[in-house]
Amino acid sequence: MALLGRLDWYNLARTTNWTPGSVTEDELFPPDMSGSMGIPLSKWESYDEPYKQTYPEYVKVQREKDAGAYSVKAALERSEIYEKADPGWQAVLKLHYGAFPRAEYSASTAEARMARFGKAPGMRNMATMGMLDEMRHAQLQLYFPHELCPKDRQFDWAHKSGDTNHWAIVAARHLFDDMMVTRGASEVALGLTFAFETGFTNMQFLGLAADAAEVGDWSFSNMISSIQTDESRHAQIGGPLVAILLENGKKEEAQRIVDMMIWRAWRLFSAVTGAAMDYFTPVADRKMSFKEFMLEWIVSQFERALLDLGLDKPWYWDQLVADLDHASHAMQMGFWFWRPIMWWNNPAGVTAEDRAWLEEKYPGWSESFGTVWDVITDNLLEGKKERTYPETLPMLCNMCQLPIASVPGPAWKVRDFPLEYKGRSYHFCSEGCQWCFEQEPERYAGHLSLIDRFLAGHIQPPNLEGALNYMSLAPGEIGDDAHNYAWVETIRAARQKAAA
Amino acid sequence: MSDISQSHINNKVGPVMRQGDLANAVAEAAEIDNPGKAITVEDKLAYLRIQTDGEMFLQRQTIEEMLGRPFSMNELEVDLASFAGRIDTKADYVRFHHALVL
Repeated sequence: MALLGRLDWYNLARTTNWTPGSVTEDELFPPDMSGSMGIPLSKWESYDEPYKQTYPEYVKVQREKDAGAYSVKAALERSEIYEKADPGWQAVLKLHYGAFPRAEYSASTAEARMARFGKAPGMRNMATMGMLDEMRHAQLQLYFPHELCPKDRQFDWAHKSGDTNHWAIVAARHLFDDMMVTRGASEVALGLTFAFETGFTNMQFLGLAADAAEVGDWSFSNMISSIQTDESRHAQIGGPLVAILLENGKKEEAQRIVDMMIWRAWRLFSAVTGAAMDYFTPVADRKMSFKEFMLEWIVSQFERALLDLGLDKPWYWDQLVADLDHASHAMQMGFWFWRPIMWWNNPAGVTAEDRAWLEEKYPGWSESFGTVWDVITDNLLEGKKERTYPETLPMLCNMCQLPIASVPGPAWKVRDFPLEYKGRSYHFCSEGCQWCFEQEPERYAGHLSLIDRFLAGHIQPPNLEGALNYMSLAPGEIGDDAHNYAWVETIRAARQKAAA
Repeated sequence: MSDISQSHINNKVGPVMRQGDLANAVAEAAEIDNPGKAITVEDKLAYLRIQTDGEMFLQRQTIEEMLGRPFSMNELEVDLASFAGRIDTKADYVRFHHALVL
């Protein structure tokens, strides 16, 4: 008997819809969990996933991927990459591992929702593997930093972060809970798999892998790019869903979720990926700026894909593109200035070489952000370190939970976007964040930003000590300048040489 | 980068491969399997971005020949980290393309 090729039986094997006899369709697929938008079961049969994968194939391919990631790690274990790395690169690793591994479990929950409640059989098949992918991502990214814990206590945050109320984790969780944990299958497919995974994860898992390779951290580079090969497959869950939504007159709903999640992902990545690419990665190894990586991945590739699916460019796109010139610099300045409330030691990234690179990649940097760093540098040169520490907290946005910031200098134009809703004042960093809130105000209205919690008396005593306690930052973990201010001495030496 | 607002108006398609033997084999196969088309390969050290305009085919057999070992099409996923355009996955080839030509 001749064996059938996989593609000859795949569609039949995964066609697992049936007409429920004992319960109603809505009991089998509750609309809130499915995100079915009133589209009946029969219409979902046409879902045609571009990546057709069976479970035996999945296991074989994944085994090969894991063998690659773990064997590169083992081969490089004795080469002391971490010990020899610049403290700026060490900060990249700490920020990455604190921000992402625990969120991968949330992503697994999201995939599980599609695997059970997706009305399209093909979605359920792809999401079953996606659910296992995300567990792999959590486990890889917890296992790799674990060996670094004895070398540096800040790596404890790779696992610990998810259980804390650290301000950055509150920001990450606000997005990930919204996008992954608390929405129906269709919204997860649009927001997580399409907006987030065909778009922004490429920035952190491939763009940053390029930086890692330049630095020589092949273990990290190889592991995160291996993760992105899983994303590349299961991110394709969203595309065929968009086709079904468009065919059934639901374009507006699809566009709304996609627009919200692109904006939300952009805000978080401008902080995490932006600072890592433009400041933390040592300048000698920085081939491309955050803005250039955004142009490659988000504009040329992702925005193009959005149009191909029949969706429109988000209404705020011009604003997002304009923000590319300053978002990473504003976030970096906040990271360094508020360094005692980070779980990593933050590099300043403003040596003469850094400044030349920043001015080349972002013309005008010296006249704006550079002038603030001039003041910080002068204070350090004059031994007035206390002036380089914050005395107040930054105002945080009630959507992205990141500081409300803009471009310093003569054209200082920081702007708050305030909103009164049911007797409470909310503040947003941008029109985009305010718009997201207004889409579903009841969903977000109850959340308190770290600043709101201060004002409500949740953080006691209401000072730095109380804040560190509240955020679970233990002694030995709190951040300082990554290079222990050695860069200030380099500038002092250069100035003395110039004066002589 | 004054053209950033226009950069999405392109018809580039093709795989982004993690660096290694398979990436090099795929870059060679892209040349062979798409005769007459200009193939660009951008080397970002951690990955190769392999692209052409409009449509790209990669044949299983060509990759097998370039690798010098047996290769099944779904092994491409081991190093396929991303791609531009849409993908069709078949037993003997993959195809990258756009539905909407700009």
